Amino acid sequence: MPNEWLAWPWLIPAIAAGGLAALALLAAVLRTPIYKHIICLKYLFCGWKAVVPMVTALPAAIGVFLLILVFAIMNGFAYDTREMTRGTLADIIVDAHMEGLPYYDEFARRIENVEGVQAATPIIQTYAVIRVKPRYTGIRPIVRPCVVLGIRPAEKAKMGRFQEYLGRERLVKRIQDQTDAVLEALRASPGPASTREVQTYLILDILEDIDKAREAGLCSFEECAPAVQPAVKCLELLRKGASPPGDAIREAARGLHSLRDSLKQRRVAPEEVLTVQAGRRGDRRQGAKEPSGCIGGIGVIGTPMPHAVSEIVQAGAGWRVLLTFVAALALVVFLFVWQAGRRHRGRRLWRLATWAWAGAVLALALEATFIPVVPSRTERQEVIDFPLVDYGGDLVVSTIPVRASGALDVEAGGIPKVSSRVLTLVDTFKSGYWEADSTNVYVDFATAQQMAGMDAQPSSDGRAAAPARASQIQVKVKDPARAAETVRGIEEAWQTFVRERPEVGPLHLTVNTWETQQRMILTVVEVEKYITALMLGAMFVGFGVLIGLISYVMAYIKSRDVGILKALGAHDAGVGSLFLGYGFIIGAIGTALGLSSALLMLHYLDAIELWVNSTLHINVFPREMYYFDHIPQHLSAEWCVVVALGVLALSTLASMAGGLLAALKQPVEALRYE
Amino acid sequence: MSKPILEGRGLSKDYWMGPSRLRVLHGVSLSVAQGEFLCVLGPSGSGKSTLLHLLGLLDRPTEGGVVFEGEDAFAKPKRWRDRMRNEAIGFVFQFYYLMPDLSVLENTLLPAMICTPALAWPVARRRHRRRALQVLGDLGLAERVHHLPQELSGGERQRAALARALVHKPRLLFADEPTGNLDTATGAEIMRVLARLNKRDGLTVVMVTHDERVAEQADRLLRLRDGRLLHGA
Repeated sequence: MPNEWLAWPWLIPAIAAGGLAALALLAAVLRTPIYKHIICLKYLFCGWKAVVPMVTALPAAIGVFLLILVFAIMNGFAYDTREMTRGTLADIIVDAHMEGLPYYDEFARRIENVEGVQAATPIIQTYAVIRVKPRYTGIRPIVRPCVVLGIRPAEKAKMGRFQEYLGRERLVKRIQDQTDAVLEALRASPGPASTREVQTYLILDILEDIDKAREAGLCSFEECAPAVQPAVKCLELLRKGASPPGDAIREAARGLHSLRDSLKQRRVAPEEVLTVQAGRRGDRRQGAKEPSGCIGGIGVIGTPMPHAVSEIVQAGAGWRVLLTFVAALALVVFLFVWQAGRRHRGRRLWRLATWAWAGAVLALALEATFIPVVPSRTERQEVIDFPLVDYGGDLVVSTIPVRASGALDVEAGGIPKVSSRVLTLVDTFKSGYWEADSTNVYVDFATAQQMAGMDAQPSSDGRAAAPARASQIQVKVKDPARAAETVRGIEEAWQTFVRERPEVGPLHLTVNTWETQQRMILTVVEVEKYITALMLGAMFVGFGVLIGLISYVMAYIKSRDVGILKALGAHDAGVGSLFLGYGFIIGAIGTALGLSSALLMLHYLDAIELWVNSTLHINVFPREMYYFDHIPQHLSAEWCVVVALGVLALSTLASMAGGLLAALKQPVEALRYE
Repeated sequence: MSKPILEGRGLSKDYWMGPSRLRVLHGVSLSVAQGEFLCVLGPSGSGKSTLLHLLGLLDRPTEGGVVFEGEDAFAKPKRWRDRMRNEAIGFVFQFYYLMPDLSVLENTLLPAMICTPALAWPVARRRHRRRALQVLGDLGLAERVHHLPQELSGGERQRAALARALVHKPRLLFADEPTGNLDTATGAEIMRVLARLNKRDGLTVVMVTHDERVAEQADRLLRLRDGRLLHGA
């Protein structure tokens, strides 16, 4: 995310313009007479009446906090949904629907010649029913609707993040991350008990995942376990509070590196992800027709089941945030105590109270700063899609082929002919995009073509021969920001193609970016985001009224001060702007409090959520409901700036009520207030 | 007689009480010489304070004009009158009018704060502070500089107000019933200070009061009744 900001071409001019504007504002403020600043600060922080502006700043702080936090999370939902959708699909989708596009390879090559296009691949898409026979006895076979997608894996891998979403890839990456964590733990000296516990569990996690890798055919347990053994010994020593010897650490590191290398070598190449590995279950089906491989969406081949998930949380983070809030509040209270103490400076009790409070604030701030944030392990229940079929298990997929004419193949009696295939599960697919994960089954292009009835048909029974067809052509573009221009280029290429190949015939082809195709889901998230922002923004209307009221009452109460200042030569505008400054500072305090607390909260969001979950047993973010494994967040710098400037402008504008009253008041009239 | 520092020419002032007009000053003309101690004496409601506000450029007359140091004050822009009040004129009021949130020293520094930009204050502050402490010391408030006005006695508050009026070395001092809220002894002490400033420093003082004894301190006395001067200026 920061990289996105850094890549923004207007970043430096924007920073320069912002800096210049801030300097100009500062210079303008510093050119104004000093009395305004001093008296404004006195009104804000002097004595117990200063509670009023502080209390007024609270709604602004809460508003800014909620607006930043909610917008960041909603934005995260939108951003992650977009990323996952885009990762599952492609930049541009040329859709020929159920009718199918003939001469698709030729047209795909033409698309690749359109400016801005990086690659294109044909896809078969057809609707099917899948029958899953669970690996566990006692569970009846499951029948579900699904979407069969015929792909050329090597080409599809270039389109989006298809490869990253495959179960094996995810497993390899997780094991690599875990070995990194173990290597880091080995380099660290023995820590507190909670850290040692986490270190112990690290190896258990690796062993569990190695077992899964074995099931996925990535390695054998006998092969991998010895590589992990030295690391297990080292972690065992760490758990006991002892430092492992250097030789043992080096040996453990060597073992873990060899495990990583071994897994890297066993990774399946993109073009082979749908190939059924020789020997696996093949002997059981000798003589039978060799089934094709398929990749099943985790929601298609799995069933939701409660599962204990262990999480490593940053223990102490929740306390740190809480203490920071308390310290900030205590600091505000301290300002009152200090100011009140000034009037009673001779009294020992006040002096003691002031020092005691200052000490308390300092202690809280130090506690909040130095409270140890250590990794700790916690377990919580969540519902995950538990695969019902092992790698190598059978899936029966049934489709009804639709011919080029739109006719269905029928059996005697006019019953549509169902084409059933037995496919072997070779991998699972999880993008996090529920729509795809719960319906998609990826199979080889040619197989899917046959299943959909889109394969080439020879002429027979008076029917003309039909060329092979594809449902879609997915396109990867060089610059996603210019995808809309590329869409126009592809449409022009299609017109040319139809003119040159009249045999294609009249065909309704739609060319859309992934964003346009998925606009329903994306628009819903976007609309939700803006409605929430609008509703929270409405809160600021109340804040504006409050600020206007407070500044008006303040200017009314301080009428005599207004008269004194004008009698001593202060200008009308100057005295009026004093109250604008009053409102501005209240807005600034609210913005600073709200913004800092929101940023702090976002920084520790996952840790706080898990802390609330484990301490208070409140499931704030049920993962199975949202299908994200963390609370998504995408903080926009522009949004922070807009909210902060909006609140500052609103508070300043609202305080014009008091400013105008003060500016228009005649000094003689004001002095008669007595 | 030295040349006049201030002249009021046919000053009239109307106030509107709903639809009816109330004239509180009827064409008052007067002249104040440089270094003079002028007292305007009149009963309550005679228009003394209104006259002082007009002469002190705090309010605009309905008719007539004010000439301050040879300039027609109400023909000049408002900013000029603000500047004159800040640089050349000092005010002392019956109710002191000290700002309650500021200490005695800060109240005394107010005229300097009003004319000094924030950017220049760190440099100018030392000079102004020295001057304020000197004036407060002269008026016997050296020990009270950090106190808030509400922690002072009536006499001390009036002296603090006087210090604020004198800190920027005004050429003209207006005093509106300066002893009106004080006991006899304290009032006499304030009057002694005003007389001393007039005699020793040559400060021009225009004072309005209803107290005959207080008025005795002045060089010249004008009587005001029902918005009209009983004796010519």
